[in-house]
Amino acid sequence: MTNFGSSAPVALSVSNVWKVFGRDHGSFKSRPASARTAEAMAKDHLVGAVQAASFDIRKGEVFVIMGLSGSGKSTLLRCLTRLIEPSEGEIRFDGQDILSLNETALADLRRRKMGMVFQHFALLPNRTVLGNIAFPLEVQGIARAQAEDRARELVSLVGLSGRESRLPSELSGGQQQRVGIARSLATNPDFWFLDEPFSALDPLIRADLQDEVQRLQREHSRTAVFVTHDLDEAIRLADRIAIMENGRIVQIGTAEDLVTRPATDYVRRFVAKVPPARVICASSLIKAPVAAVSGLTVSGDATIADIASKIVADAGEITVVDPMGKPIGLLDRQKALETMAMKI
Amino acid sequence: MAKMKTMILTGTAALLIGGSAQAFEPESDQPIKLMQADWTSMLVHTEILNIVLSTYGYTVEKVIADDSARYPGFESGDLTIALETWQTTQDKAFNASVGTGKVLDMGELGPHAREDWWYPAYMAELCPGLPDWTALKSCAEAFAAPETAPKGRYLGAPVAWGGFDEERIQALDLPFEVVHAGTDAAMFAELKSAYERKAPIMLWVYEPHWAPSVFEGAFVEFPPYEDACYADPAWGLNPNAAHDCGKPQGWIKKMAWAEGEKIWPCAYDIVRKFTMDGDEVGKLVYEVDVNGRSVEDVAMEWATANEAKWREWSACAAN
Amino acid sequence: MASDALRGKGFGWVYGAASVVVFLAVSILVLPSDFAGSPNAPWLGVAAWVDRAMTWLVRDASIGGLALSDLTRALAAAAQAPIEAMQKVLAEGWVTGAGFNKTQILPPMSWLGLTLGCAFVAYRLAGPALAIFAVVSGLYLASFGLWISAMMTLASVLFCVLVALLLGLALGIRAHRAPHIEPVVRAIMNVMQTVPIFSYLLPTLLLFGYGPSAALFATVAYAMPPMVHATVLALQAVPSDTLDLARMTGCSRRQTLWRVELPVAMPRLAIGLNQVVMMTLNMVIIASMIGAGGLGYDVLRALRRLDFGAAFEAGMAIVVLAVLLDRMTQAMARRQSAGTTGTSGLRTGIILAGLVIVPTLASLAVPALALWPKAATLSIAQPLNDAVSYINQRFFDPLDSLRTFALLKLMNPFRDALQMLPWPLAISAVAVLAGWLGGRGAAFSVFAMGLFVVVTGYWSATMGSLYLTILAVLLSLALGFPFGIWVAAKPRMQQGVQLLLDTLQTLPTLVYLLPAVMLFRNGDFSALIAIVSYSVAPAVRYAIDGMRHVPPERVEAAAMAGCSKWQTFRYVRLPAALPTLLLGVNQTVMMALSMLVIAALVGTRELGQQVFTSLSQGLAGPGIVAGLCVACLALIIDTLLKAAAARAVQRNGVAHD
Repeated sequence: MTNFGSSAPVALSVSNVWKVFGRDHGSFKSRPASARTAEAMAKDHLVGAVQAASFDIRKGEVFVIMGLSGSGKSTLLRCLTRLIEPSEGEIRFDGQDILSLNETALADLRRRKMGMVFQHFALLPNRTVLGNIAFPLEVQGIARAQAEDRARELVSLVGLSGRESRLPSELSGGQQQRVGIARSLATNPDFWFLDEPFSALDPLIRADLQDEVQRLQREHSRTAVFVTHDLDEAIRLADRIAIMENGRIVQIGTAEDLVTRPATDYVRRFVAKVPPARVICASSLIKAPVAAVSGLTVSGDATIADIASKIVADAGEITVVDPMGKPIGLLDRQKALETMAMKI
Repeated sequence: MAKMKTMILTGTAALLIGGSAQAFEPESDQPIKLMQADWTSMLVHTEILNIVLSTYGYTVEKVIADDSARYPGFESGDLTIALETWQTTQDKAFNASVGTGKVLDMGELGPHAREDWWYPAYMAELCPGLPDWTALKSCAEAFAAPETAPKGRYLGAPVAWGGFDEERIQALDLPFEVVHAGTDAAMFAELKSAYERKAPIMLWVYEPHWAPSVFEGAFVEFPPYEDACYADPAWGLNPNAAHDCGKPQGWIKKMAWAEGEKIWPCAYDIVRKFTMDGDEVGKLVYEVDVNGRSVEDVAMEWATANEAKWREWSACAAN
Repeated sequence: MASDALRGKGFGWVYGAASVVVFLAVSILVLPSDFAGSPNAPWLGVAAWVDRAMTWLVRDASIGGLALSDLTRALAAAAQAPIEAMQKVLAEGWVTGAGFNKTQILPPMSWLGLTLGCAFVAYRLAGPALAIFAVVSGLYLASFGLWISAMMTLASVLFCVLVALLLGLALGIRAHRAPHIEPVVRAIMNVMQTVPIFSYLLPTLLLFGYGPSAALFATVAYAMPPMVHATVLALQAVPSDTLDLARMTGCSRRQTLWRVELPVAMPRLAIGLNQVVMMTLNMVIIASMIGAGGLGYDVLRALRRLDFGAAFEAGMAIVVLAVLLDRMTQAMARRQSAGTTGTSGLRTGIILAGLVIVPTLASLAVPALALWPKAATLSIAQPLNDAVSYINQRFFDPLDSLRTFALLKLMNPFRDALQMLPWPLAISAVAVLAGWLGGRGAAFSVFAMGLFVVVTGYWSATMGSLYLTILAVLLSLALGFPFGIWVAAKPRMQQGVQLLLDTLQTLPTLVYLLPAVMLFRNGDFSALIAIVSYSVAPAVRYAIDGMRHVPPERVEAAAMAGCSKWQTFRYVRLPAALPTLLLGVNQTVMMALSMLVIAALVGTRELGQQVFTSLSQGLAGPGIVAGLCVACLALIIDTLLKAAAARAVQRNGVAHD
C-alpha cells in the first residue's frame, strides 16, 4: 500500500519462533540446532509447523503471511497471539514479551491491544449485529449503553447501518464478515490480526472487502498481520509479504522484491503469473536524480500499472516524487514501457 | 396471612364433627407416615386410618411404597404404619423384619387371605370331578395350551411370590406345567381374557380381591394344609415329598415402626384396635374397583357410617 | 487405507488367535465339566460382597465424621421441599388438617388459569399451533378428571428435569474440560443408564427415604446420562474459530462458557434436553412405585383392576405432558439460540400473571374453575375396555396360533441354542470380534465383562436376556428401518411421525402390555411385543435422520450416472447413512435392554426377573449384580456397534467430505 519507510518504530518483534507438533513435542527445546532439520525431526515423529520464524513488523505496517494450505501460516498467526503456544522463541508486542505473560495478563493484553478477524466469521448466532460488535466491550465490563453506542459507530463504519438488530443467520456472507471486521475493531486495538478473512467469500465481495480494509487502514493505520493464500490479495494489501513453505519463511519482502528478486525457485514459481507492472514501483525505475519537478509527477510508491495511462498519454518527462511531494528523480520511460510489455 | 384465609370445608360431616375432637392434644406433631401400596383394600383402609388419626389432630402423611421394598423403611422409621401385610406373600420377609426388633407386629387386621388353584365355573363342565383335586389328574388336557399339551397349563403367581407350585405338581403327580405371571395384574388379565371367551384356564387366585366377586369360579380343594405338609416329606399322600397339600390360608397383619410406640402411644393403641370385617372389605373394594368411586369418598362414607366404632378404638384420645 | 490403519492399532491376528486357542484349551481341559457348559451357580460370592458393601454404605459409611446416610437424608429433604411447594401450588392448594377437620386456606392454581397461561407462553414462544395444542391438552387433563394427578406428576417431573438438566450440564462441562476424565464419565453414565433402577432400589430407599425424593434420585440417575453425552458433544462441536474469538477478546473462563460456548452449543444441547424430558416422563410409572404418586400411580391402580381404558387415559395424560413440555422447552431453546426470548418483558409478565391469577381467584366463587365438575367428567374408558374385550373374543384364536407358532418354532429354539453355547467359546468369539472391530482395548474390556457374567453365576439368565434382546432388536429394525426410510422421503409426515414416536416413548408400556397379555398370555411373546413397541422408536428416528443427511451431491452424481431408484438407494444412500443407522441399532439395543425389567412383569425368566426376585426378598446384592449383568450386556453390544460404526465412517469417507 504505502511504501514503508523504515522510520516507524518496531511494533511487533518475532524472533526464532518454533511450533512443533508430535507425540514427544515436549523434548523439542533440548534438541540442538543440528537435530532440527526436517529429516531429523521426522525420524522422531515431530513436525515443525513453524520453524525459526523471525521478523519485525513496524507500527502501522500491513504484514501479509502467504502460503499454500498446510504451509503453517495460520499456525504462525496463532503463535503470535498465543492462541497456540509456541514451542520456542520470543514475541514482543511494543517491547513486551508476550510469552512470559500469565493467563490474566495475556487476557488483558488481548482485550486492550488486539483485534482478530476469522476465516469463518465466528459470529455468535444468538446475538444481533449490534450484540456481536459490542461483545468485546461487554467482556471488558463496559456498560451496555456505552458499548452499544460504540458498536453503532462501527456498524456505520462498515456500512451496515439499518441492520443493527439483524441476526447473523439473516445476513449474507459478506455482511457477516463486515460484522466480524467491525467487532475486531470495537476496542480500537493497536494490533489487527486477520486470518484468511475473505477466503470463504465470492470474488466480487472479496474485492469489496479488500477495499474496505484499505479504507480502514487509510483512516486509522494499525499494525496488521494478514494471512492469505491469495497472492492477488497479498499484493493489493501488503506492505511486506512473508512467503511460507513447509513451516519455513522462505522470503520476506515487498511484492516488488518477490517478483523481481525471488529468493528461491519456490517463490519464483509462486509469483510467476504476476504481471511485473503491478508490483514494480515508479521509484524503482528512476534514470536520473533531479532537484526540481518538471512535467507530470507520479508518486514513488505507485506501481507502473497505476501510472500506465500517464506514461502512455504523454511523451514528456515524468518526475517521481516522495510522499511529501519532494522530487526523487525522473522516471525511466523506456524501462517502464518494457515493464508494461513484460508478459507473465 | 390471616386475612387471606378462606375456609373451605370438605363436607358437612367436617362441620359437625370437626370441633369436638379439638380437645385431644396429640403426643407429638411429628408426622405419622402411613404406607400404602397399590391395591385397593389397603388404600381404603389407609384412608380410613388417615381420617381417624387426622380427626384427633395427628399429623399424617401417606407414603407410597412398594409391597416388598417396604422393610428397610420400617426399620429406619421412614414408614410408620402399614395396615396390610399378607402372610401369603410376605411371611418370610415380615418375620425377618420383626426379628430385628425394629418393627412391631401390630396384630391382625381381620380378613383372612385365601389363595390356591382356582378355575372359572364353566370349567366344571369340562372337568366334572372338580373342585376335588384328584379330578385334575384325568382332565388336565382340558386346561392345556399348545406349548404345554398334553399337560395342563397352570398360571402361577410371579416367581417372587414363591408358592411351591412346581413342588406341589411333582408331589401330587399332576400332569400340569407352571407358567409364571409377571405381576398380579398380568395374572388377572389372563383370567379376564379367558373368562370372556369361556376358554380353559387354571390359575392362582387370592382373596380378598375383586376378581372372585366379578368372575364366578371356585378354588380347587387340595388336601388341607398343615405345617407338617411343607416341612416333613413323610406327611400326606406322597411319603417321599413335601408340599403334597393345598396352600396355607394366611393372616393379614398390621405392622409398625417400633420406636413410634414411644412417640405416639395413643395412635399405636388406635392402630392395634383397628380391625375390619372381611365381607365389609369386599364391599368397599367392590365400590372402588367395580363401581369406579374414589377411595376418599368410599372411606369417608364408611367413617361417617361407623363413627361409633372408630370412636371406640380411639378411647385413649377421647379423654 | 482404512484396513491398514486399523491393523496398525489393531488386535494383531496372531496374538488374538493364539490367546483364544490357549484360553479355550485351558478352559476345556482344566475346568470341571459343568463350568465349561453354562454355569448357573456363582464361582465367587460377588452378590454377597455387594450386599455387605451396601449394608456398610448405608449404615456405617461416613465422610469426615458425617454419616453418609445423614448426608443423603439432608439432600433428600432439600429436594423434597421444592417438589412439595410445587405440588401445593399446582395441585393441592394450601391445606391444614385432614380427615374430618380439613380446611383449605388457599386454592391451587385453577386449571383454566394454568391452561390459559401455558397457551399464552406457547403462543409467544412458537405461535398459534402450539398454543392450540396447550389448550387442548389442558382441556383433556381437566375434563377427563386427570388434572390433580397430572399436576402432582408435573410438579415432580419439572423438578427432575431441572435437576437432571443442571447436573448433566455441569458434568458434561466438567468432562469436556478435562478430556482425560471424559471416558470415565462416559462409562459411568452408560452403566447408570442400563442398570435397571429396581436393582438399586433398596439402597436408594435406605439412603434417601421413601417418597418423592427417592423417586427423584432414581429418575435423575436414569434421565441425566443423555444430557451429559449431549453436553460433551455440543461443546466439542463449538467451532474452533469461535473459541479463538473468546480468547482473543480476553474472555475469562466463565465468560467463555456462558457467553460463547453455551449459546453456540444451544441447538445440540436442546437435543439432550429433549431426551431428558422424554426419559423423565418415561420413568413416571416406576417412580410412582416408590412414592412419586400422580399419573403413574393412577395407571398402576387402573391396571390392578384391569381397567385398561382408565389406564390408557392416564397414560395419554403422561404423553400429553411429555409432548407439551418438550415442545415448549425446544421452542425456548430455539429462541435462545436465535437470540430472541419472547417471554421476557414486563407486559408479558403482567398478562401471564393475570391469566393465571384471575381464574384462580374466581375459583373460590366458582368451584368448576378449581376442579372440573365431576358430573361433567368425560371418559372413553368403557368403549376402550369393550374394544379390548371384543378383540379378545373375536381374534384370540388366530392371534394365539400366531403366538404358538412364533414361540415354538422360532423363539424357544433360539433361546435353547443360546443357552447351550459353551461360555468360553461364546466369550472368546465375541472378544475376537471386538478386537477385530475396535482394537485390543475393546477386546479386553468385552472379555472382562463377559467373564463377570460367568463368574457371578448369571450366565444362563444373561443368555435369556440376550435372546429376548436380539429378537426384539431384529424385529424393531425390521419394522423401524423400512418405515423410517419410507417416511424420510415424505417431509409432510414428519410431524405426525414425531408425535407417534414420542407417544411410543412416553406412553407407559404397561398400558398396552396388559391388553397384550390378554391376547398373547403371560410369557416371552408378550414381553417381546412390549420391548419392540418401545425400542422401535429409535430405529425409526435414526433411519429418518440417516436418510435425510445423505450428501445431496452424491445423490446427484448417482442420478447422472443413470442409477435406478433402487441402485441409488443401494449404492449411495444406504452406505452414506450406514454410520447413523449403526448408531440407531445401538440406541435400539439400549432401549430394548432398558425394557427388560418391564418385560419381566409379564413373566419372562431372565435378568429382569432376577432383579425383581431379589427385590422381593429384600436383598440388595443379587439385584445389583443382576443389574450389572444387564449393564455388561449393554456395554458389550455398545462396544461392538460403536467400533463397527467407526469403521463404517472410515469406509464411507466422512473425513474427505
